[in-house]
Amino acid sequence: MTSADTAFPVLRRDWRKRREIVTPEGVPLTVELAELSERAIALILDLLICVLAAFVILFAFLYVAITGKLGAVLFFTVLNMVMFFLRVLYFIHFELSGRGATPGKRVAGVRVIDRRGGPLTASAVIARNLTRELEIFLPIGLLFSASSGARGPWGSLLLLGWVICFLALMIFNRDRMRAGDLIAGTLVIAMPRQRLLGDLSETRARFAFADSQLSAYGKHELQILEDLLRRPGDAETRELLRDVCDRIVRKIGWTEPLAPTDTALFLRDFYTAQRAFLEREQLFGRPRADKFDAARKREG
Amino acid sequence: MSVEADIGREVADLTAGRPAVVLKSSEFRRAREPGWHELERLVDAAERRGVRMLSPDELNRLPQLYRSALSSLSVARAIALDRHLLIYLENLALRAYLAIYSPRTGVVQAGGQFLRAFPAAVRAARWHVLIAFTAFMVGIAAGFWLTVQDESWFSTLVPGGLGGGRGPASTRASLLDDEIFAPWPGWAVSLGIVANFLFSHNTLVGIFAFCLGLAAGVPTILLIAYQGLILGAFLALHYDRGLTVEFLGWIAIHGVTEISAILLCGAAGLVIAQKMLFPDRYSRVDSLGMHGRQAAEIAVGAVLMLFVAAILEGGFRQLDASTPGRFAVAAATAIGWLAYINLVRPAGETR
Repeated sequence: MTSADTAFPVLRRDWRKRREIVTPEGVPLTVELAELSERAIALILDLLICVLAAFVILFAFLYVAITGKLGAVLFFTVLNMVMFFLRVLYFIHFELSGRGATPGKRVAGVRVIDRRGGPLTASAVIARNLTRELEIFLPIGLLFSASSGARGPWGSLLLLGWVICFLALMIFNRDRMRAGDLIAGTLVIAMPRQRLLGDLSETRARFAFADSQLSAYGKHELQILEDLLRRPGDAETRELLRDVCDRIVRKIGWTEPLAPTDTALFLRDFYTAQRAFLEREQLFGRPRADKFDAARKREG
Repeated sequence: MSVEADIGREVADLTAGRPAVVLKSSEFRRAREPGWHELERLVDAAERRGVRMLSPDELNRLPQLYRSALSSLSVARAIALDRHLLIYLENLALRAYLAIYSPRTGVVQAGGQFLRAFPAAVRAARWHVLIAFTAFMVGIAAGFWLTVQDESWFSTLVPGGLGGGRGPASTRASLLDDEIFAPWPGWAVSLGIVANFLFSHNTLVGIFAFCLGLAAGVPTILLIAYQGLILGAFLALHYDRGLTVEFLGWIAIHGVTEISAILLCGAAGLVIAQKMLFPDRYSRVDSLGMHGRQAAEIAVGAVLMLFVAAILEGGFRQLDASTPGRFAVAAATAIGWLAYINLVRPAGETR
């Protein structure tokens, strides 16, 4: 394994699962699914906020409970109901507020969208949030509810199995959908923010390449080179660049002398020339996907 | 720039040993970049403060810039091999799309929309409701018939927790005093009944009936029929003691709402079962995504109905201690629900 091979997974940015949605204008867009960990963080944050709010509201009830007019069981029952309405209103309010995300989701960088690219409707948001009650909070609430004595250990086990079933559904389906997402037709996606970096192509080139030299590689290799050139310039990168430069020099049969200090410059010029060549070929209907494709095109 | 000047520059370049390179994708990028940056600024602001905080001019620009970004993306996909540019444009277009097509509704407005969508969803599922209703009626008839013949069936059909001490040993007097005309237990217990509605027997039955729709619907029908059996057994118990009318009044005051809600949950489960078993020309997941929303609307509405039923049960039932009075409330709720389901249309839809 060479250093270029080991560098490859680092260069790849597609560790997230991807799905395609089609906008109402008919343009397909790629979305990246949110990771389960991100969704868990979002949920925990949101619940913390809800619990805090519920306790503020419940100070009045607590007062009544301490003065003895309300039993402990009844207190928790009422707490449960207040939490229920608070939670539901909180989630629905924020997911419908134009950002498609609760504060927890915004911190975790995820949001809710319609699975098929249409606008997110109120009933979809209501459906996905009330199903969450059913998936997680209802069984958990039942475990601690007033009638827990009548259920026995088998009942508790059943409830635990219930939660595990819904978790398994989420873990094992392709699109990381909860039962609520499945029913409401929604997806939870990650929202990374991409900034526009500078164009790598040069307007003036010092090294000139012949078409026969440029036909050795295809689009895949070009984009790997692009990723390499965009890496931060530390010692490891410099070594990688030298390694790649040697390989390219050998592959295209570059005979002129090349000073080690010119490595980065040579690669950028090569990148520019290669991209110009491939883009031209693509425009003429001869796209080259990778070096094997390029070799076939050269022979054929 | 004049031709001479152009040539002059080229000559200068050649003397510097650096020939000019022209990339179509770079030219394209240079021409469109200001528009992208403007869109990015607007989307940033919309994500941070909400679309509503944009000025009217900016709101005007947003969809124009969005469409031009979409066209940039399409062109870039066709001509550019600059992967970073493609990733950037895709990300920008997605963020702009989400800023433009996201819902901007408040909770109250969403609630209003939902209250209009729920009756329509129920009307669309009228056959499913009818099936659930039939299963329930068959259950009642069977439960009644079995228990009237032999009261030991009562203990077989009704689970212990639900019987609440009632059974073949109950006398007419005990049923009247402890059940039908029992004194109002006080506000604490009433509040408990209302607050615990989410964990009451009937809500759980409704939710199970809905979820079991995922198991092809057969368990849903069985569960609904079983609820009918239980009610039939109770009915027979009271019939044998000459309390049929009083019992019906006692159960109907909240039962009209509660049983309708359970039947609607069952109907929602059946919608899910149908769309899963017979996905038409879609995949099962797509079919579920398209119609699951309707089923969920019905189920959510049913849960709200169960909340109303809990208020009627906890608050009104024992306060209103006359059978005609109870029937009056029951009739009012029945007419109210029927009118609501049949008359309310989604906004914009006319008959």
